[in-house]
Amino acid sequence: MLDHCSISHKGGVVLWSRSFTPAASHTAASSTSPVNSLVREALIEGRSSDGKYEKDGYAVKWTFVNDLELIFVVAYQRILQLTYVDELLLALKTLFIKLFQPFLATFVASLHVTSSAKLASSAAPSASWNFRKAFEGWDGVFDKLLRGLEDKAAQERRTRVAHPARATIDVTPPAEDTSTIPSHSNADVQDEEQIARNVQALKNRLRGRGGHAGRRGRGRTDVGSGRDSLPGSDSETPTSKRKSRAKAQRKWGESAPTENDMALLDYSYDSSVSEDPASSLDLSTLVDNGSLGTRTRDGLYEVKDWEFASQGDKNTDDVIAEVLKKGGQEAKPAASSLGALGSIFSRLTGSKVLTEEDLKPVLEAMKQHLMKKNVAKEIADKVCEDVGESLVGKKVGGFQSTTSAVRQALANSITRILTPKTSTDLLLSIRTKLSTPVAASQQKLPYSITFVGVNGVGKSTNLSKVCFWLIQNGFRVLIAACDTFRSGAVEQLRVHVRNLGMLGVDGATNSKGRVELYERGYGKDAAGIAKEAIAYARDNDFDVVLIDTAGRMQDNEPLMRALAKLVATNNPDKIIFVGEALVGNEAVDQLTKFDRALRDFSAASGGQERGIDGMLVTKWDTVDDKVGAALSMTYVTGQPIIFVGCGQTYTDLRQLRVANVVQAILSD
Amino acid sequence: MDGVTPTPEVLSPSTAFTPQFQIVAALVFAVVLVIISVFLAKRKSTQRGDAVILAGCSDAGKTAILSTLVYKQTLPTHTSMQTNAALMVLPQGHKTLRLIDVPGHPRIRDQFQEYLPHAKAVAFVVDSSTISRNGAAVAEHLHMILNALTSLPPSRGTPSLTIVAHKCDLMKSTAHASAEQLAINRIRTILERELEKRRASHANGVGVESLGAEDADSQVGGLECTGSGEFKFAEWEGGEVGFVGTSVSVGKEAVVSADEKHPQGDGLSPLREWLEDLP
Ligand SMILES: Nc1nc2c(ncn2[C@@H]2O[C@H](COP(=O)(O)OP(=O)(O)OP(=O)(O)O)[C@@H](O)[C@H]2O)c(=O)[nH]1
Ligand SMILES: [Mg+2]
Repeated sequence: MLDHCSISHKGGVVLWSRSFTPAASHTAASSTSPVNSLVREALIEGRSSDGKYEKDGYAVKWTFVNDLELIFVVAYQRILQLTYVDELLLALKTLFIKLFQPFLATFVASLHVTSSAKLASSAAPSASWNFRKAFEGWDGVFDKLLRGLEDKAAQERRTRVAHPARATIDVTPPAEDTSTIPSHSNADVQDEEQIARNVQALKNRLRGRGGHAGRRGRGRTDVGSGRDSLPGSDSETPTSKRKSRAKAQRKWGESAPTENDMALLDYSYDSSVSEDPASSLDLSTLVDNGSLGTRTRDGLYEVKDWEFASQGDKNTDDVIAEVLKKGGQEAKPAASSLGALGSIFSRLTGSKVLTEEDLKPVLEAMKQHLMKKNVAKEIADKVCEDVGESLVGKKVGGFQSTTSAVRQALANSITRILTPKTSTDLLLSIRTKLSTPVAASQQKLPYSITFVGVNGVGKSTNLSKVCFWLIQNGFRVLIAACDTFRSGAVEQLRVHVRNLGMLGVDGATNSKGRVELYERGYGKDAAGIAKEAIAYARDNDFDVVLIDTAGRMQDNEPLMRALAKLVATNNPDKIIFVGEALVGNEAVDQLTKFDRALRDFSAASGGQERGIDGMLVTKWDTVDDKVGAALSMTYVTGQPIIFVGCGQTYTDLRQLRVANVVQAILSD
Repeated sequence: MDGVTPTPEVLSPSTAFTPQFQIVAALVFAVVLVIISVFLAKRKSTQRGDAVILAGCSDAGKTAILSTLVYKQTLPTHTSMQTNAALMVLPQGHKTLRLIDVPGHPRIRDQFQEYLPHAKAVAFVVDSSTISRNGAAVAEHLHMILNALTSLPPSRGTPSLTIVAHKCDLMKSTAHASAEQLAINRIRTILERELEKRRASHANGVGVESLGAEDADSQVGGLECTGSGEFKFAEWEGGEVGFVGTSVSVGKEAVVSADEKHPQGDGLSPLREWLEDLP
């Protein structure tokens, strides 16, 4: 059973939504609702995996209708593993567009006004917008559809249990049914299996609850256990409707119910909808609103939809039935509703609807191009997939080829990935911390930055550059030599500190006293040295501590754990990952593992979870326009590139210009 | 047939276009050209200044405001993924304006730059109920906009700027001041403090870029003030900054102009008034 379902425009307006549980309706309007999180994290920041997004115990699935800029979202408890969600989304999309195409087209056009002069003359946007009336009847259609799908899912379960032999040859059983496949009609086996399955289900629930699924997980558990212990309790259900369904299910009543079946029997939400939704579907309002469409470019749809509407209720039912039968596989309803006339029209104007087939070769070429620019393969795959998803079904004008549409979408997508979502103003961040008053009993702590990364990428060199820049800004900086591993590391830093001390700042001939090295030799515990360094800095009035750590390979478990410990014990203000611009496919592995290790350990040690806060990309000057590593790195971490290092001297430090990188990546 | 043949004198181009005539024709042509171009330029300038940009952080209520102003009802919303550009008619004077609702998510909020050349005004929407927590982030966003406004070419009048203290319904009014006034005061104080921090930090800081000294103009400015230099909205060099307090409530119809039932209009009336008064 679902928690929340919504239909909305990409611009943010929700056209229709429904919450099925009190918990879901409670969060629906807050900024932390599953839909809001989905849009922010998965759709804008691109942090989802394979069309599925999970948050706070919810699983969220979605689908786009690109030509009408609509998003259809379904959220449900992750532990439920509903099988019909994909089908439901497809069916919703097909039906919704079939029913409301003219209104939707007008609505979308009203959000893309290019200049007031043009539209003001043609028609004043009068007060005729009535969304409630426009979508009247949709509630009924939705109920019918949902019920149909739930019944169908139950039916499938039933036949599978009744004919176990068939179930075994089922090629792709839904994930949640794997445990039932080897079932025989043997009662003993089934009993054992039922126990095993209940145990498994319980485990799932507990696991789900661990991840914040608490609120609703509890209710579900009660329902489930009630059924397990009282197989006959169905017959006590109050409404006649329920009774009839319970009877039908008596057949398999002795076998183990799955989560899915229990969900079907769970009437805790209000399912007492009107029995005849079609009659409440006042389609004449649809026509009324549809007439708005005459103002826009949609004259062609009108005739067809009028016919559709005037045929009345029966048609709606047919459509639902059809959709259910086909399993909602009708993927491009808009195109098909255009008919022959529409295709001629579009051929004349030269506009066309992008299909997956059109896009495939272009996207493949784009992917190759990205990889040539040194973007990691995995990332190139994902970026192109997202771009494709945002384009399928979109209309492109006569002058715009598929390639240029893809190119434009790709540029937008890359810009979005590279643009920081948090402030990259390090100076401000340092000043804010230093000027924040602390309690009288405490001493002010310096701002600390930890540099981490694999071997040989230029950590110490670039740390010195950052140090130089901080000195120029009037800070006193302490460098903590926590690379107690590689011989020569401490000496290297000593040279840097001596050099930096001799360089002038603000007219003074040298900056002695502005920079110092804190060293304790080799072989000692790095976390301890860092701690001492911070204490020393605090007592001696340093503003910033830069912590240099030993380079390590991301696969070296013990070293990664040691790094995580250093971070957890010292809780630095920033953790900066230093990586080379030369890195290719390994970028993904490096960053994921560093980030993961830091997070796991900091979470395990009870502190607040910490990951990489930003990146410093070195050897930027050596890669020319093959700047793909920047994209890979920001994509994986979702964090900004704070600096790029581009040479050997202390002044060779730059900030990343997103526009330049985008241009370099797209250039041929 | 001879009688119809026109006299060669009249037809001959060499005689028809005497030097005097050519000069006159050229002059007339030039005058017509000038008139046309002036006319076009005028049209263009009226065309370009029709947009009102709604900017502000995510969840501030921009889309809710747009929906109330454009569709006359407050539709439920979620985080926007793309910019909305819709037309609204002002109740008085029947002026039309183009409202541009730019998403507040940091990854895509830059899109407002695209509309700035056509902007007549910018409304920066702030959620009054969360400003204490989000002060720094809101100030960063506002700074970006102030910087963009001050770096517009001087040939064009700068768009008016107002700060919309939104969600006033979540503030408690006291005996001395209305919720709107309290919200405005709080937002003004917090933003001035945060923007001053940014100004001070940038004023005596060396940007990373200026280490190399090639393109030193990368610094974000836009916070210059007259007087002591400390950031105050009243003394901002970029122009006047207005403040209005507003609120909407989801699911309600808008009250476009005040009537007996709603002598004050609805929660957006202050914003509507500001829009009416735009030059
Ligand atoms: N209490 C209250 N809630 C409001 C008000 N205005 C908007 N909201 C709610 O605030 C939430 C965010 O509003 P949106 O309009 O979507 O925010 P936005 O500024 O468009 O956000 P982005 O699109 O992410 O930039 C929605 O749930 C609105 O219902 C108000 O005046 N009072
Ligand atoms: Mg919005």
